[in-house]
Amino acid sequence: MRIERIHNGIVLDHIKAGVGIKILGLFPTDMLKSKIDYASYIESPRLGMKDIIKIENLDVDPKTLTKLALISPSITISIIRNGQVKEKIKPELPPVVEGVITCNNPKCITLKEKYLTSKFKVWLEDSKVRQQCLYCEHIAKSS
Amino acid sequence: MHQFQGRHIIDTADLTTEEVMFLIETADRIEAMGPAARDLCKGKILATLFWEPSTRTRLSFEAAMYRLGGNVIGFSEAMSSSVSKGETLADTIQTVALYSDIIAMRHPGEGSALAASMSSRVPIINGGDGAHLHPTQTLGDCYTLIMEKGRLKGLKVGFLGDLLFGRTVHTLVRLLARFGVELHFFAPEGLNIPDYVRDSLVKAGATFTEQTELDARLPELDVLYVTRIQKERFFSEEEYLRKKNSYSITRETLEKAKDDILILHPLPRNEEIAMEVDPTPNAGYFRQAEYGLKMRMALISLCLGVLS
Repeated sequence: MRIERIHNGIVLDHIKAGVGIKILGLFPTDMLKSKIDYASYIESPRLGMKDIIKIENLDVDPKTLTKLALISPSITISIIRNGQVKEKIKPELPPVVEGVITCNNPKCITLKEKYLTSKFKVWLEDSKVRQQCLYCEHIAKSS
Repeated sequence: MHQFQGRHIIDTADLTTEEVMFLIETADRIEAMGPAARDLCKGKILATLFWEPSTRTRLSFEAAMYRLGGNVIGFSEAMSSSVSKGETLADTIQTVALYSDIIAMRHPGEGSALAASMSSRVPIINGGDGAHLHPTQTLGDCYTLIMEKGRLKGLKVGFLGDLLFGRTVHTLVRLLARFGVELHFFAPEGLNIPDYVRDSLVKAGATFTEQTELDARLPELDVLYVTRIQKERFFSEEEYLRKKNSYSITRETLEKAKDDILILHPLPRNEEIAMEVDPTPNAGYFRQAEYGLKMRMALISLCLGVLS
């Protein structure tokens, strides 16, 4: 499969194989009206297999960067301007994320009291992202 | 010098081991004060906000406040509060904090006491938040162990029953691990301790074992903490009935244990401890309820700053 160069936009590389579709789901559909290239399970010297996504005319905000790191800690984001890599970002997992994740414990108070902002402690364990709700202490595993 | 005045009691993890020992000393100090303790909280108001049905914990808080000479307001179910009209937790707490000096609460939402503390200008005492934490029970249980066994370090304590939904166990085991207590879990399949509790025990370097049968380890236990299989925590009646009789302590059980094994239970019990056990010196569960009351008196007094 051929992934074409883009002129302006973002390249999401080193995505854990198979989770690219989840990453596309982070972006509202009206932001994805531009050209998108998405390749899944392609060979990678670093990861073995990886996904890669290129999106024309799109930027990422800091909150989205955190979400990207939570879904795939290995991800790199290249900002492309006029055909050149303007910036390459390797988003760090912050120790605590606020208002980004929803707790998947159905009894957590943050689901009942909507005014509360979710807060999660986040860390990597065996290359997997682990997140613990700071209200109910429920631990969720992802990627 | 330990600072408790104005402090919220949400999780025993927020307390140092020295502070836990200070609370135990304070409970003892109040006991020694006798009738003089009856004026400690004169003119103060405790609000007991119970969104979930509870007789024992609520009555214990209320009795503690009355024995300290204070007054009590509150509600004992969500339907009798503004919550049934859609009020947020933050609004309920902010309003009640205007009417009271201290709040003891139980709420089915896990993390609710922490959320409440963020909206309260008066101390919040967590009386149980869903299947999550129950710190006042834990502190009362620690007090019980010290009074009955004289120490915590090196004790071998077994936990039997529903360890998945039993919030008393979740809080207690993590605190006991910090005091060097050896923990042994006996739970029917599917009712083992939750992952987050197991993870925190591993991280704390606690000594613990997990098994389904009690018999093999029973002779080495100093204490056996039994919990109820709670009907309200199950999704179906059928599942509840299948598991509730899995474990039961009888006089025959005691014969296989150390002579001085201490049997504890956070109460209320169903059939997990036979009534024939009650007259034996091993039955510590009613004394445990009394120690819990004294501990709540200590917490109320310290958080209000009437003792220091």
